[in-house]
Amino acid sequence: MNGKDVKKLIVACDAGMGSSVMLASQLRKELRKSAVTVEHTPVNSIPGDADVVVCHAGLGARAKASAPDTPIITFQVFLGDPAVTRLVNAIKNGSEINA
Amino acid sequence: MPDLLDRAAIRLDAVAADRDDAIRQCGHALEGVGAVDASYIDAMVERERSVPTYVGEGVAIPHGTLAGKDAVRHDAICVLRFPDGVDWDGHLVKLCVGIAAKGDGHVRLLSELAQILLDPDSARALRESANVDEVIRLLQPAAQEVPQ
Repeated sequence: MNGKDVKKLIVACDAGMGSSVMLASQLRKELRKSAVTVEHTPVNSIPGDADVVVCHAGLGARAKASAPDTPIITFQVFLGDPAVTRLVNAIKNGSEINA
Repeated sequence: MPDLLDRAAIRLDAVAADRDDAIRQCGHALEGVGAVDASYIDAMVERERSVPTYVGEGVAIPHGTLAGKDAVRHDAICVLRFPDGVDWDGHLVKLCVGIAAKGDGHVRLLSELAQILLDPDSARALRESANVDEVIRLLQPAAQEVPQ
């Protein structure tokens, strides 16, 4: 999919109180100038209108089961992970996302 | 309403045998300021086993699971500094910011923490601070920050 088609980005998490909150808040800041809604939700209730899901690699399988048709970007490091940086750049530049 | 970061929940000279010990100490600090019931501490350890909370720059943010939220009495964080470091699945952790949250009261502070950790100099200042007032000041959300 193309970065310009992303309207809703979901940071999927387990508890929704720690690292995912931090990442979602960071992504909102980085994507402030783009028309993208960033939300964090538990991994088992990813909304159907999500365009792309970002989650820790440890939650990847659960995210896939929860949203089988949505592109999922997994990362290892909560802040500054190259996969997340690539996604942010693709959204900003309207370039291709390889999920 | 209790402060999100109580001075009593800050320890700058902590020593831990291993990761789980460090997490349990964070849990006890949160319990000590009345933020959580003791059962939350097990939830924190359990959560770490499923998804680690190492966030980079020598900092981990241990917290509980969705199931553990019932054990949270009020939103709070604790700050424990381990000057000798703790082996965290191969990362060296020198600072733990433990989290207990029912709602979104801690989101701004976490957002501030993310900003700090993305700047290596600020991250070092936080990691190496041996002064409680300075830690509180560093983590204070910027006044102009608009909650989202």
